[in-house]
Amino acid sequence: MSKARLFVVAGLAVAALVAILVIVARHGKATAVRDIGSKTTESTGAIGLSVLTMGNPFFKDIADAMHIEAAKHHYRVIVESGDSDPAKQKDQVASFIVQKVDAIVLCPCDSKSIGSSIIAANKAGIPVFTADIACLAEGAKVICHVATDNYGGGREAARAIIEAIGNRGKVAIVDYPEIESVILRTNGFEDELARAKAEDGVDIEIVAKIPGMGEEAQSFKAAEDILQAHPDLDAIFAINDPSAMGVVAAVEKAGKGGRIKIVGFDGMPRGRLAIRDGKVYADPIQYPKRIGTTTVEVIMKYMAGEKVPPEILIPTTLYRKTDAEKDPTLK
Amino acid sequence: MSILRSNSRMSRFLADYGILGVLLLLCLYYSVRTLKQQHPTGEAAAEILARKISRSFESSAKVVIAAKTGRENLAFADTLNELLEKAGFKIVRSIKGDPLSIRNAFGNLADSGLRADTIATTRDYVNVVRNIKAKFPALAEVTISTPDGYLWPTFLLRANLLNISNQIAVIAIVAVGMTMVIVTGGIDLSVGSLVAFSAVVAAWLIRRTGGANASGIAMAGSCAAAIILCAVIGTFSGAMVTRFRIAPFIVTLAVMQMARGLAYLIAKGKPIYQIPDSFLWLGRGAEPFFSIPYAVILMAIIYISAHIMMSHTTLGRYIYAVGGNIEAARLSGVRVNAILLLVYTVIGALAGVGGIVMASQLKSGAPTFGNMYELYIIAAAVVGGASLKGGEGKIFGTLIGAFIIAVINNGMNLTNVESYTQKVVLGLVILGAVLLDTIKKRR
Amino acid sequence: MNFNNTPDAKRPLVQMEGIDKSFPGVRALRNARLRLYPGQVLGLVGENGAGKTTLIKTLSGAHMPDAGTITIDGVQPHIRTPLDAQRAGVAVIYQEFNLVPTLTARENIFLGREKAKCSFVSRRAERRQVQRLFADIGVSIDPEALCRDLSVAQQQVVEIAKAISISARIVVMDEPSACLTPQEVKRLFAIIRDLKKQGIGVIYISHRLEEIFKIADSVTVMRDGEHVTTRPVGEITSAELIEMMVGRRLENEFPKAKTPVGPERLVVKKLCRGRAVRDVSFSVRRGEVLGVTGLVSAGRTEVARLIFGADVPDSGSIELDARPLYIRSPRDAIANSICLLTEDRKAQGLVAGLSAHENFALPNLSHWSRNSFINPKKERSAFARYVNSLNIKLADQQQLAGNLSGGNQQKLVLAKWLESNSEVVIFDEPTRGIDVGSKYEIYLLINELAAAGKAVIMISSEFDEVLGMSDRIIVMHDGRISGEITDVAAATQEQIMALAIA
Repeated sequence: MSKARLFVVAGLAVAALVAILVIVARHGKATAVRDIGSKTTESTGAIGLSVLTMGNPFFKDIADAMHIEAAKHHYRVIVESGDSDPAKQKDQVASFIVQKVDAIVLCPCDSKSIGSSIIAANKAGIPVFTADIACLAEGAKVICHVATDNYGGGREAARAIIEAIGNRGKVAIVDYPEIESVILRTNGFEDELARAKAEDGVDIEIVAKIPGMGEEAQSFKAAEDILQAHPDLDAIFAINDPSAMGVVAAVEKAGKGGRIKIVGFDGMPRGRLAIRDGKVYADPIQYPKRIGTTTVEVIMKYMAGEKVPPEILIPTTLYRKTDAEKDPTLK
Repeated sequence: MSILRSNSRMSRFLADYGILGVLLLLCLYYSVRTLKQQHPTGEAAAEILARKISRSFESSAKVVIAAKTGRENLAFADTLNELLEKAGFKIVRSIKGDPLSIRNAFGNLADSGLRADTIATTRDYVNVVRNIKAKFPALAEVTISTPDGYLWPTFLLRANLLNISNQIAVIAIVAVGMTMVIVTGGIDLSVGSLVAFSAVVAAWLIRRTGGANASGIAMAGSCAAAIILCAVIGTFSGAMVTRFRIAPFIVTLAVMQMARGLAYLIAKGKPIYQIPDSFLWLGRGAEPFFSIPYAVILMAIIYISAHIMMSHTTLGRYIYAVGGNIEAARLSGVRVNAILLLVYTVIGALAGVGGIVMASQLKSGAPTFGNMYELYIIAAAVVGGASLKGGEGKIFGTLIGAFIIAVINNGMNLTNVESYTQKVVLGLVILGAVLLDTIKKRR
Repeated sequence: MNFNNTPDAKRPLVQMEGIDKSFPGVRALRNARLRLYPGQVLGLVGENGAGKTTLIKTLSGAHMPDAGTITIDGVQPHIRTPLDAQRAGVAVIYQEFNLVPTLTARENIFLGREKAKCSFVSRRAERRQVQRLFADIGVSIDPEALCRDLSVAQQQVVEIAKAISISARIVVMDEPSACLTPQEVKRLFAIIRDLKKQGIGVIYISHRLEEIFKIADSVTVMRDGEHVTTRPVGEITSAELIEMMVGRRLENEFPKAKTPVGPERLVVKKLCRGRAVRDVSFSVRRGEVLGVTGLVSAGRTEVARLIFGADVPDSGSIELDARPLYIRSPRDAIANSICLLTEDRKAQGLVAGLSAHENFALPNLSHWSRNSFINPKKERSAFARYVNSLNIKLADQQQLAGNLSGGNQQKLVLAKWLESNSEVVIFDEPTRGIDVGSKYEIYLLINELAAAGKAVIMISSEFDEVLGMSDRIIVMHDGRISGEITDVAAATQEQIMALAIA
């Protein structure tokens, strides 16, 4: 190729690149920034949000809800995704501090290593809030933590089991004991059964508790083992929807579909579909949008100089087949 | 065949460091994009505000100071207090605290019937102060004074530039080793895993030697052990490459898996946190060095010594010769195997250092650290002008390459580009930078 | 394109007029011209850097000329790419072949124009055609042999077969005989004569003037990018040709100076390595130039590599000045003042991506470094001395070694070993691919080395060169020394040949 032609081609390539960059810079902005920023001037503040990962719709819901709620108060939300990388999230918090945002909301990628970032924000006088995942680092000051009431959700799951199989029976748990929120769920579940036994004379025995890593394939294996060991099982509590899917597969494979009742957790679309189809009895469902909205409300209260509690738990509600049949999003 | 003498120096410089232009353009772009009103903080804000208040109020006026918490904000409040009192103003209250304490103080003020003329606060607190003041009709007459802002790009704020350097430190440090390896015509894919391995080993050793109460010597020893271990792993890769003639790509691919696996095994899959607070010192700065974080100073030292090594010592010359033509180098009496072994050892050690820096920045050691870092590190070296064919590459070119990556990431964070889009842009910019470089070299 | 018409002998097949071509900093061609008639073999000669290769590259589409016209068979085709040139009937066989080493001869010949139905290659049809091609040329090569397994000469035949198979009417050969043995050259000439008969025009580039006189009908001389003359070979002598190429008169092709020969310096005893080197013993005296010759792969280079430690011998010993040497690597050899100027400068002698002075300094860094820190000033001044004394032509010391001409590269390698103060200097094909002028200077340097009392070994395939420059000659065959000639002045090429094939 001649030199002149090479330069033309290279020039075009570079121009195309620049064009893409510009387009991307325009359209690729986090949704939150687009609409309000320009209209309100002096009174506009900014909230920096860094979530665990945008790959999970749960966090997308939190971000969207925060955006809508913040817009009402003329605040904009700067949304970043930590992509499960603590180092990346640290960088994002550092840039929030440089931008002097009014508040920072974090769904930490790592409950402990986020501490140094929060301490840096504290030093700059920027209040930090956490949503869904708490910070466990010492010395880091978080104004308020907003999350699902996992303990309450666990109790709700236990009530669903009683509702499904009656006052007697054997139940197993497909667990994920490495995760803080899951521990709360199983604790709530166990405590509610114990309470029911003591107060209402319900005799439901937990015969097995096997880890399923919160994912489908592992939970499938765990459930198969449980079914082998306990052929007279009546119900299984799976600590989230992927686990529940694995359990459903194992129960169907064993030819016990419908006989063994399954209760999941979360209320993700797949879980809700399974409830509609009768494969899962019920889910205590979480409300990520409510978490987002509540977080912004708390921030606004704090800004107005009101007292805010250190923790706000969003209760779950039980979602059954009747709810699924009315659910417009499943049509 | 003959290049004109007068131009040769200039064209050589451009060929070596022309990529600097790309970096400067990026900086320019983000400077323009982030140009906005900046609000002074700390003592500077206090001085500006004191002057402003002296101009617009009688010297007998009564002033309330409201400041956020945090070191800078406290300095603002105290300095302003001092300056205004010196100028004869009366400071009714000096409130330092969160919105709740502001509200309490304002309520107190309103109830007490004390008269005040103005509330002095910083720009980033004025919203809160104004909203709370509006709740007390008694304070309706009181004005709010804030220091005037100035137009300046957020990107070019000192704090942000330090952020960029701090953020790229790990990648940049390891990229020094990568440049050497690439110059010899090799590649090392294991560095990302070695960063995690080093961080985990150091954290694990610190936990074993006292956890959060570990002594300085224990910490230093743990870090040194982690770095040496990584160097040994590097030597192992080098030995596989020289002794058994396995392609570096394959060797380091295998080592990448092994090191990551070992990191998970040692840490039992979970991050290790039991580390003293003092371990954070690498990420901090100190006054004698203009508060530049030690990690960045370390990076600078490594770059300067690597540059001297590569361009002024026999070893550097041999490294280029081995990459340029391994057979010719051997027939010229260069101990090529020893050179290769050394280079892989150096990159292993530098990955170890990178892991320590990362562990210090995050005050923990987790097997998930450094995920995909090998690709960023290779990108930094290649964008900086190192040729994967070997024989070519400059240490400072790599530094520029690393900064290009850091500036893009930081700039996109500042201009709120979505995270998915960030990846696309980063890929395009790497491609574009290398393309420009290739075309320039073809002339 | 009109293949059927009998080519008009009067009309040139190729006519290049007023070709100009500049690269940054150099004018490679100015007003160059060339004319080739059908059935003619045109010798193209000139020193390295005279513009021969550039001229050919404008014909083959590798370069676009800045000015000038190229007419092929009466039409002016637009040649922008090598493919355009191929379509116009031009085939170029470069010194480095354009063959894929991991493909077979057949696959290489049909590369890019496979005989295929629905992209399924019809091997049988291809093989038949290749066999016919090879038969026409008069060689027997297995069409299914991998190219990397073929000898250099065989690869060249594959290239020629490829040229014929694309119905090329103009075949350009760039230094085709550089790596061939005398018999192989003979066979090549037979093939060229065959091409001639088919009305194909051949441009033959070579430094070996005797070949030009043997095979070419006319010869075109180029110098400094310009056309000097074109004459039938019958009307010009070798000396005239050299004079026109160099632009000045050279006294004698081989300026051998007689130096008194002293005691034995290097003694090699019973050196063995596999089948390549078998029981080789010889010695070199102070001030002596020992010529080592033989056919390609007779084991000459292998012996040199053993002495230099590039390979490790199975058995045998080496002594220098009656002191036994233990050599296991080139490093050991260098430490014992032995050096080797390899035959393949590009692959083994130089680091193309490093600058001239860096190459020069590679084995000698200890001379001007302290605690491994290089003193650039001393390095430059040391190199500058050699640039002057060896007359190395450089734009500046930073010029990349890969950009130097062959002669200058050889001088650069020589400078590097002279600085290392070698007592035993082994030249492997010191003048391969080097133009006449530089050749002469290298011969003078060999004389100087001998006069300085060094032991010089000169390995060469060119029998006239060995005869012209050596004090004594050993001939190798199949890994062994097959004969020694002590009275060089009375020896003939036939005598060497007899020993070489014995």
